Amino acid sequence: MKTEIVAMLLAGGQGSRLKSLTYNIAKPAIPFGGKYRIIDFPLSNCMNSEIHTVGVLTQYQPHVLHNYIGLGTPWDLDRRNGGVTMLTPYAAMGGIRWYDGTANAIYQNINYLMEHDPEYVIILSGDHIYKMDYGMMLDFHKEQQADATISVIEVPWEETHRFGIMNTDEKMNITEFVEKPKDAKSNLASMGVYIFDWQKLKDFLIMDNENEDSSHDFGHDIIPLMLGKGEKLVAYPYKGYWKDVGTVESLWEANMDLLNPESGLNLHDPAWRIFSSNPQLPPQVVTETGYVQESFVNEGCVIEGEVTKSVVFQDVYIKEGATIQDCVIMSGVVVGNGAKLTRAIVPPSFNVPDNFEVGSPEGEIILLTDEIVEKWKGSGEHAFDGNR
Amino acid sequence: MRLMAIVDAAVRIPGLEDLTMYRSTASVPFAGRYRLIDFTLSNIVNSGISSVGVFPTNPFVSLLDHIGMGKSWDLDRRKDGLFLLPPTQLNGGHLSVGAFAALEEHKAFITKSRRQHVVITSCYTITQINYQKMLQAHIESGADITEAVSGDTSLKSYIMSRELLMELIDVYKEKRVVSVEDLVNLKKKPYTYGRYEYEGYVAVIDSVQSYFNESMALLNVERWSELFLHECPIYTKVKDEPPTRYLKGSVVKRALLANGGTIEGSVTESILGRAVMVKKNAKVDHCIIMQKCVIGEGCDLSYVIADKEVHIESGVILRGTKENPVVLRKGERVLKEDVG
Repeated sequence: MKTEIVAMLLAGGQGSRLKSLTYNIAKPAIPFGGKYRIIDFPLSNCMNSEIHTVGVLTQYQPHVLHNYIGLGTPWDLDRRNGGVTMLTPYAAMGGIRWYDGTANAIYQNINYLMEHDPEYVIILSGDHIYKMDYGMMLDFHKEQQADATISVIEVPWEETHRFGIMNTDEKMNITEFVEKPKDAKSNLASMGVYIFDWQKLKDFLIMDNENEDSSHDFGHDIIPLMLGKGEKLVAYPYKGYWKDVGTVESLWEANMDLLNPESGLNLHDPAWRIFSSNPQLPPQVVTETGYVQESFVNEGCVIEGEVTKSVVFQDVYIKEGATIQDCVIMSGVVVGNGAKLTRAIVPPSFNVPDNFEVGSPEGEIILLTDEIVEKWKGSGEHAFDGNR
Repeated sequence: MRLMAIVDAAVRIPGLEDLTMYRSTASVPFAGRYRLIDFTLSNIVNSGISSVGVFPTNPFVSLLDHIGMGKSWDLDRRKDGLFLLPPTQLNGGHLSVGAFAALEEHKAFITKSRRQHVVITSCYTITQINYQKMLQAHIESGADITEAVSGDTSLKSYIMSRELLMELIDVYKEKRVVSVEDLVNLKKKPYTYGRYEYEGYVAVIDSVQSYFNESMALLNVERWSELFLHECPIYTKVKDEPPTRYLKGSVVKRALLANGGTIEGSVTESILGRAVMVKKNAKVDHCIIMQKCVIGEGCDLSYVIADKEVHIESGVILRGTKENPVVLRKGERVLKEDVG
C-alpha cells in the first residue's frame, strides 16, 4: 500500500530560554504534565490521526530523545512499513552538514521522503502542547485543492507581535506571511504545522537550497517563495488549546493549565489519549500527614507533606512538613522536611534540602538550580524570592 | 541461565468466587494497578529467568489480555521467553500448585528445554523472592526438592531438577499424588526434601478476608516499601493513563491511588485502581475500588470491595465490616433503591 502522508517532526531545537532545563536535553524532551515529554503531543497526535510514518529530525542534545523514542513502541510506530525513523545530520560525499534552518533540515532528508514517496508531507514541530487531528487538516487541504495548508490559531491582538502572522482573504487563501509584525492586519498565527503536496514541496526545497541568501526557514523563505510563484496556500483554522512552551514562564503556565478545567487542555479524554513511555512504578501513596488539593500527581510518589495547585511527576517524595504551592515538581525529586516551595519548577532528580524556602505567591517563576540552593545556604538559610 | 520457571496460574481458591467469576485467581487485581500474576512474573524476571511457561485455566481471556506476549516483563523473546500453555482436554482448574495432569499435557515444553532446574510457583502468594538465591541454597543442600517457606508459611514455590520433574510426570499416578505441592506435603519417598527460608514481604491471598487485609496493610508505608523495592520493580501491563487529578474540595488521607483517577470527594484508608472517579461529597473509607469504577455524588461507602467498572449512583450508602466487607461484582450498577 502506498504511503499517503509522511510526518516530519522537527525536534532539533535547543530552547535556550528554558535555561538549565535544556542544558543536556533538547526542548522536545522537556518533561511536561506529570508524566509526559513535549514530543509526546505531536507523536500522539500522529498516532490518533493514523499517521504511521514519522521522521524525527534531531540535532541538539539528541541522546535522551533517541533513547526515549526508541522503536516508537508507545506510539505504535514500531511498524514493518513506515514507523519512526530518527533523522540526524550525517556525513555524505559532499561533506558533513549541520541542519541549517527548518527547510534545510527537510531538504537534507529528501532521500528519506523520496523513498516513501508519499502524496503529502506534514511538517510538525516538537515545541508545542496541543491536541490536533491532522486527518481533518488533510481533508481540508484536499477539499481546498491547495498546494500548501498552514494551520493557524487566533491569538490575542496584543500578542500578534510574538508570532508569524498569516493574512488571508475571506476564503482563507493566504495572501501574505508576516513574521512578528508591529502592526498586524490579522490575528491568525502560524502553529508551525504545514501540509504540502510532496512533489510541490520537493521542487521548492530544491529551489530554496540553491538560493544562497535564504535562511532556509519555512515561515521566512519557503512560504513567501511559494506565494511569489502564485501557488495556492490556504490557512486551516484550528480551534482548541495550543501553547508554545518556549520559556520557563510558559512551561509553568501550560502545566498550571492542566489544573484549570476551563483551560481547554484535558488529558483525561479517552478519545484522544496522549501516549508516552510508561515507567513501571507502584501507585502513589498519600499518608496520614499528606494533603493534596487541586493537583496532578503521578505514580510512584509518596506524599507526606502538603501539595496545592501543583503538578507532581513520577517517583517524587514530599516529606512531612513540606509545603508545595503552584509548583511543577519533576520526576525523582525529594523535597525535604519543612521545605516551602512557591511558584517554582524543580528539575528532575533534584534534592531540595530540609527547611529550604523559595518563591512567593506574587513572585516570578523560579527554576530551581544548585546555585540557588548554595546561595540560600550561604545567606544563613533565609527564603530566596528570586529577586536577590 | 540454568533455571526455567513454571507458573501454575490454574489454582482455584474457594472463597474468592466473587472476584473470580470472570477471571482466574492469577488475574485478580491487587494494590491498585496490578494483577496477582504480576508479582510472580516480576520475581521471575528480576531473578534473571527468561524461560517461563504459564499454565492458565478457564476463564483465561482476562489473563491473556493482561500478559499478552509478555512484553511488559521483557519476555517477548525470539529465544525462549513466555509460553502460554492452556489446558487442552481437561476442564482446567485444580486446588494445589503444580498439577501433574496439566504439566503432562505440555510435557514437551519441559522436555525440550535445555535448562537444568525448574522453579514451580503460583500466583496467590505475593513475595519479593529471588529464585537464584533459592537455587543456590537448593544446590548446596543436595535435596531433591526444595520448598520456599517464610517461617511456618509455605510460599508454594518449589525448585527441582528438570530431569526429576520429567520423571515425576511419568510416575505421579503410581505415587498417588496430583501435584508438586501434594508430593511435597506428603514427603513421598524416595525423594529428599529441603526448605529455603525467605525473609521479606509475604502475603497469602486465599480468601476475601485475607485479600482485604493484605490490601489494607499496604497503606502502611513500611509495608508498602517492603513490596515495592526500587531494585526489584513490579511490572504490569501499562495503560497510558494520565496522572491522578485531585480537584478542589477533595480529601485524601492514607490512600493508595493508581493513575488516571479524578478525585473530588473524600478517600481515606482506601486503595483506588486506575481511572476511578470519586465525585463530589462522596466518602470512600476502608474500601478497595478497582479500575474504572464511578462513585456517585454524596455516596457513603465503608468496607466495600468494588470490582472493575462498578457504577455506584449518587447517594448510595453501603457499609460492610472489617470481617465481612461488601463485595460488588464486576460491572455492577448500584442504585439508591437497591440498597434501601
